[in-house]
Amino acid sequence: MENSTQESHLRSENCVTYDSPYPIYAMAVSSTTSAAARRRSIAVGSFIEDFHNRVDILSFDDETNSIKPVPSLSFEHPYPPTKLMFHPAPTSAANLLASSGDYLRLWDLRDTSIEPICTLNNSKTSEYCAPLTSFDWNEVEPRRIGTSSIDTTCTIWDIEKGAVETQLIAHDKEVYDIAWGEAGVFASVSADGSVRIFDLRDKEHSTIIYESPQPDTPLLRLAWNKQDLRYMATILMDSNKVVILDIRSPTIPVAELDRHQASVNAISWAPQSCRHICSAGDDAQALLWELPTVAGPNGIDPMSMYSAGAEINQLQWSSAQPDWIAIAFSKKLQMLKV
Amino acid sequence: MVSTPVGVRKGAWTEEEDNLLRKCIDKYGEGKWHQVPLRAGLNRCRKSCRLRWLNYLRPNIKRGDFTPDEDDLIMRLHKLLGNRWSLISGRLPGRTANDVKNHWNSHLQKKVLAREEGRSKSQKTTILKPRPRTFKRIAPFSCRDKTTYEPNISITDQNSDNPSASSSKQVDDECTQWWSNLLDSVEIDGETEPGSNGISLELQEEDNGWNDFSLDMDILKLLSSENKRIN
Repeated sequence: MENSTQESHLRSENCVTYDSPYPIYAMAVSSTTSAAARRRSIAVGSFIEDFHNRVDILSFDDETNSIKPVPSLSFEHPYPPTKLMFHPAPTSAANLLASSGDYLRLWDLRDTSIEPICTLNNSKTSEYCAPLTSFDWNEVEPRRIGTSSIDTTCTIWDIEKGAVETQLIAHDKEVYDIAWGEAGVFASVSADGSVRIFDLRDKEHSTIIYESPQPDTPLLRLAWNKQDLRYMATILMDSNKVVILDIRSPTIPVAELDRHQASVNAISWAPQSCRHICSAGDDAQALLWELPTVAGPNGIDPMSMYSAGAEINQLQWSSAQPDWIAIAFSKKLQMLKV
Repeated sequence: MVSTPVGVRKGAWTEEEDNLLRKCIDKYGEGKWHQVPLRAGLNRCRKSCRLRWLNYLRPNIKRGDFTPDEDDLIMRLHKLLGNRWSLISGRLPGRTANDVKNHWNSHLQKKVLAREEGRSKSQKTTILKPRPRTFKRIAPFSCRDKTTYEPNISITDQNSDNPSASSSKQVDDECTQWWSNLLDSVEIDGETEPGSNGISLELQEEDNGWNDFSLDMDILKLLSSENKRIN
């Protein structure tokens, strides 16, 4: 990884592009460490404002630097998937993909086809289910998935039983993102502008560790640093700042990274290092930051920068591929080598 | 007050009585029920004659069990209308209100109860609402600079066994305790304190009007006991 503090552009041979027939938003990079180690699966979900959407599975080969779709592994999805995620610890028997949208759905990835496993539905009347904005798959306890919804609740599912473990009214307004910290602890962000941490051992209480400075400014995304669980990053709506929080010192952000020139859309911590984070936004730039131990007087400058062709909507940095960052903008997916 | 005539028959209708009633209705038509027992030569009350005709002897009454379609319709109508049998039977041609009521009470009611119970058992998820706690924004040097923190906590409990020197570190300790409790399976081996996770004394319940740093008596005791356990 480059350690220079000057901005530098990534070379073009370290960038692999895939053109999709439709705009893409949701993206997931498979975490398999199986024999097919050279080829990685990437799942992309379309963003068509219609009932009929698709999820395609692509195969990324970093030796030939190519991304190819696998036509047999493509399936229809009702409404655009808001998030896609592969099972964090897949075995050869169970390679699962989860998608959220109107419901949480699980899909079984086999060699030649994808079969839907189940649709997890919590509503009793089964007429209406509040759409899910996001979900997170617990890496320590892979049978737990936490979903966040616009009905202000977060639901924790036990996918082995196919049943709800808990449902909590997490916030006063719609919950936009949820992230697991460890086996029984998760955090969520909401339109009410707060980051709240929940502990499943004590469901009576939650803790607000940050609130947006202008009241009721929604917080859109949350990323919990899996290498160093004290740090979280969040982004506010229509803001060019990435707010870094330390849960040891609540309400006060550790750092605010404000070198973007337009609103930030996605953030992702580095999977192998606890000090690096990548962010991407409407200024068509993906910035890679290193958080210093002591902040300089003028704020923190990014370590490196990449300019894409259009506003970047999605960013994924998978632990299975720490050298590559996946970004999605308009109808393209690009893999950038770090 | 009209005295009831002695000797009016009660109880089940015999076949002869049914025949007499039928002949009478055929001859004179329905209505004027007060004259029917007289005309038919029946020793029955006029109300009884009318009810017997309407519920049993009328020609277009359907005999036999209720079909599954009828059962389904009855269940839906009962869900909608409740115990208004006359309205329900209005939708079921050939069935009297009495029949519907009896059929419901003897057969259908338990089916519906069983279904409701099954449904509620399988979908019983109680939704919990955790009460949020906020950290009051403490002085900027709080949780990081332990040595220069000014103790401006006013302790209202006179009997506290905390020496005042340690009160200066309470705020930092609480933050540390909170996040260390939170991540105790990662950071600290051993002590899981299920009840006290997330409880920290500088936390305020949202709709409580606490003064900035005043602590309640019970909470202080909790802190001192926590201190003893962790340290």
